[in-house]
Amino acid sequence: MELVGIRAETAGSIWKILVTLDDQVAVGDVVAILESMKMEIPIVAPIAGRVTEILVAEGSSVSGNQLVAMLEQVERDVR
Amino acid sequence: MAWLDDVEEIERRRARALALGGAERVQRQHDAGRLTIRERIDALLDPGSFVEMGALAGEGDGEKFLPAGYVGGLGRIDGRDIVVGGEDFTVRGGSERDGRTKDRMILEIANEFKVPTVLLHDGAGGNIENTLRRGYMQIPTWSNDGLEVDLLATVPVVAGVMGSVAGGPATRAMLSHWSVMPKKSAQLFIAGPPVVKRAIGLDVTKDELGSSEMQVHASGAVDNEGEDEYDCFRQMREFLSYMPRNVWELPPHREPNDRPDRKEEALLSIVPKNRRQPYDMKSLIMMVVDDGIMFEIRPHHGRCLITALARLNGHVVGIMANNPMVNGGALDGPGADKQVHFMELCDQFRIPIVYFVDCPGFLVGPDAERSGALRRGMRAFWTTFSITVPLIQIIVRRCYGVGSVTSSRTDHLKLRIAWPSGEFGGIPIEGGVDAAFRRIIESAPDPVAKRVEIEERIGRLRSPLLAAEAFGVENIIDPRETRPLVIRLLEMAQQKRGYSLGIKSRPGVRP
Repeated sequence: MELVGIRAETAGSIWKILVTLDDQVAVGDVVAILESMKMEIPIVAPIAGRVTEILVAEGSSVSGNQLVAMLEQVERDVR
Repeated sequence: MAWLDDVEEIERRRARALALGGAERVQRQHDAGRLTIRERIDALLDPGSFVEMGALAGEGDGEKFLPAGYVGGLGRIDGRDIVVGGEDFTVRGGSERDGRTKDRMILEIANEFKVPTVLLHDGAGGNIENTLRRGYMQIPTWSNDGLEVDLLATVPVVAGVMGSVAGGPATRAMLSHWSVMPKKSAQLFIAGPPVVKRAIGLDVTKDELGSSEMQVHASGAVDNEGEDEYDCFRQMREFLSYMPRNVWELPPHREPNDRPDRKEEALLSIVPKNRRQPYDMKSLIMMVVDDGIMFEIRPHHGRCLITALARLNGHVVGIMANNPMVNGGALDGPGADKQVHFMELCDQFRIPIVYFVDCPGFLVGPDAERSGALRRGMRAFWTTFSITVPLIQIIVRRCYGVGSVTSSRTDHLKLRIAWPSGEFGGIPIEGGVDAAFRRIIESAPDPVAKRVEIEERIGRLRSPLLAAEAFGVENIIDPRETRPLVIRLLEMAQQKRGYSLGIKSRPGVRP
């Protein structure tokens, strides 16, 4: 199974994490919310998959393109 | 019937040209998931509109005849004249030859008749065999006397990156107003994997080096991406439908199926009351423009700014909009580059710009500084002041700092329209308060409460109605009135655009 990273597109701080380990997510599901430029920007799953790793904590600051979580790809959309 | 034999010979030779580099080479091109240059031209143009020039050029007699590695001529798209040409990869990999070539002829026709130009690139350019044939090495010169550069000032130029495109064709693909490549089956690079290996010792694949993932998404060297070659041709036709024939004409008007006075109910609630919550700016744009149709330019790069071509009551407009979902709408380097190119494109072809503003300013932080967001952002600012097409700004939400000034011009009619959700200022309240009232806040018995108190006091000044009272903003409108009002303004400006057609002079030095 292929592992795919979810990245923060821009620098900011992680305001909320909305998934826990082993959660199944669908394409476009909001995984975390990034606070950047005073806006709550959703970080969404690029593929459907299972969360295998969460690499940031709420309140931690991230730089642009930093990995936030890892997904293990599933064959089809679970939604 | 005196010339019948000769005419029949022309037909025989034409038939040989149609065979391109031969059945085996054509098969190889198809196996790579690619169309031949003739199939590409057929797919792009109105059926039966292609008039080929130079079809009989080539070398060798009879069955040994090998056509020149370039196919081009006149064509029509939606009934409008264009010129089109492209390298034939099935003949020596589309490589260039010395002497007057067909690709130059295509540019000369475009330059003479001032018609849009579509170049379908496939190949790696120079061929070292030419050096052997010539017997000496040449100082590199641009083989077409800079015709490509001249054309950029006069007619719409579209580039398609259709195959593995490197060297000369890669550089020519950049000399375009807009470019597109298919998702799979094409790559663009300065030089391919063997050259990279020799030069820097790195093993890379063609796709790692130059797929659309690299050139459309990461580098922004190519504007748009097509699902396949056919989708690229569809996009080329769409792009050209917004373009005038040349800079001496206005863009074509197209009768919409939409009413100019349509007031879209959903515009009233698209911006959330919660100031920290973003929304879908693309939906907002589609609610305003004709028939909900827009053609996004460079959708995968510099995504903090949306740039698109659309129509309002049939008039072509350039749409710019900050995207609150990316950087919170803050302008970064790639977004600024995109803004510069788009504004110049619109200015060149007399396309008025409608700018939906929701910009907190330039992006801040070490990433932004390192990427030169300040200089690139001020280049966008400079461009805003150098263009002369009408620019209508709608302040949808945030409009802060110099990053937002790239949305308006103080040297022209200052006409600023705000929604009730609009908020603006030279400095944002949050952050600004910390800086200006640091001593007062620190010396207060409860610093946090003090800061909140000051922020709230200034926050009450945020209402755009207060600014409107002081005539600090010209109009605050019901968001549902956006379409009718913008159309009124555009139609008033319509005639004026005709007064100053022609080649644009290039002012000054960009920051």
